[in-house]
Amino acid sequence: MTHRPTRPPFAADDRPTDDPLALLVRAAAPRAFSSGFRDRVLAGIGARREASLGSALERQFIRIVPIAAAVTLLLAGYNWWGGRQTAASPLDAALNLPGVTLAAAYAPAQLFGATIASTVSP
Amino acid sequence: MIAFVSDAQLLALARGGDDRAFGALVDRYEPAVAATVIGMLGRGDEADDVGQETFIRFHRSLHKFRGESSLKTYLVHIAINLSINALRRRRRMLLRFVSQDDTTMDAPEPRLGPAGELDVTELQAVVQDAVARLSEKHRAVVVLRLFHESSTRETAQMLGVPEGTVLSRLSRAMKELEAQLAPYVKSGAALPEMIR
Repeated sequence: MTHRPTRPPFAADDRPTDDPLALLVRAAAPRAFSSGFRDRVLAGIGARREASLGSALERQFIRIVPIAAAVTLLLAGYNWWGGRQTAASPLDAALNLPGVTLAAAYAPAQLFGATIASTVSP
Repeated sequence: MIAFVSDAQLLALARGGDDRAFGALVDRYEPAVAATVIGMLGRGDEADDVGQETFIRFHRSLHKFRGESSLKTYLVHIAINLSINALRRRRRMLLRFVSQDDTTMDAPEPRLGPAGELDVTELQAVVQDAVARLSEKHRAVVVLRLFHESSTRETAQMLGVPEGTVLSRLSRAMKELEAQLAPYVKSGAALPEMIR
């Protein structure tokens, strides 16, 4: 029975030796993905870019919504406070709606403080 | 033309949003990433996805890359980590759906040429299959040390293990590979020249 010497191990901090097995394994390393790999990578980057733009808009929207809601409530409160004596209902007061009367219906130019002259005569 | 442009120049262009420059980097480093990912996962859609994800992550961190390590090392580091994660996911799936017995397969019989010899592609497939049969830990060391010719220290850093562990794993892996590939070593000695 012949004794085969053990394969020399790799030294502590070296590059692989010229061992035939190491050479064989190294030469068999895969070198490419299936064709069109670069295009798939660039398409993936484009898709992520669009997705990140969408999520950035979403983040901005979520940030703006509470501020817009707070401003709306503040204005509604201010309107209600100012028109609580004269308005027909609290909702009319909050929305600053003028009271709907027959006189107001015949005077459209005066509605909402408009200054245009009315061409309609009663 | 773009082949003569340095990595630093391509990186600067890519950081400015030039996709053509980034595409050139993908072409340049596809072999390194493919060797890592296919070496770890085998060929297939999963390896392709992990390869793409490697470059997409690199694109996202373009501004963070300071060039302290080489670009190849940086990409191989991302690729090996993503491959290890993919193997963990695969293992979880296997544990959930398939019994361990079902996963053991016999080695495929290589096809021989008319004179009984293996052609280059067949020989590469046999070697890659032998690497794929190693345990994940041994495979990672073989991929980094032999496919990439990384040093023991670089390999240890990338895998987060001591250098002694890299050496012992490599030694065991080589013994396993020798047992599987002994008949091909003689014919494979010419493989590097055949591929060139």
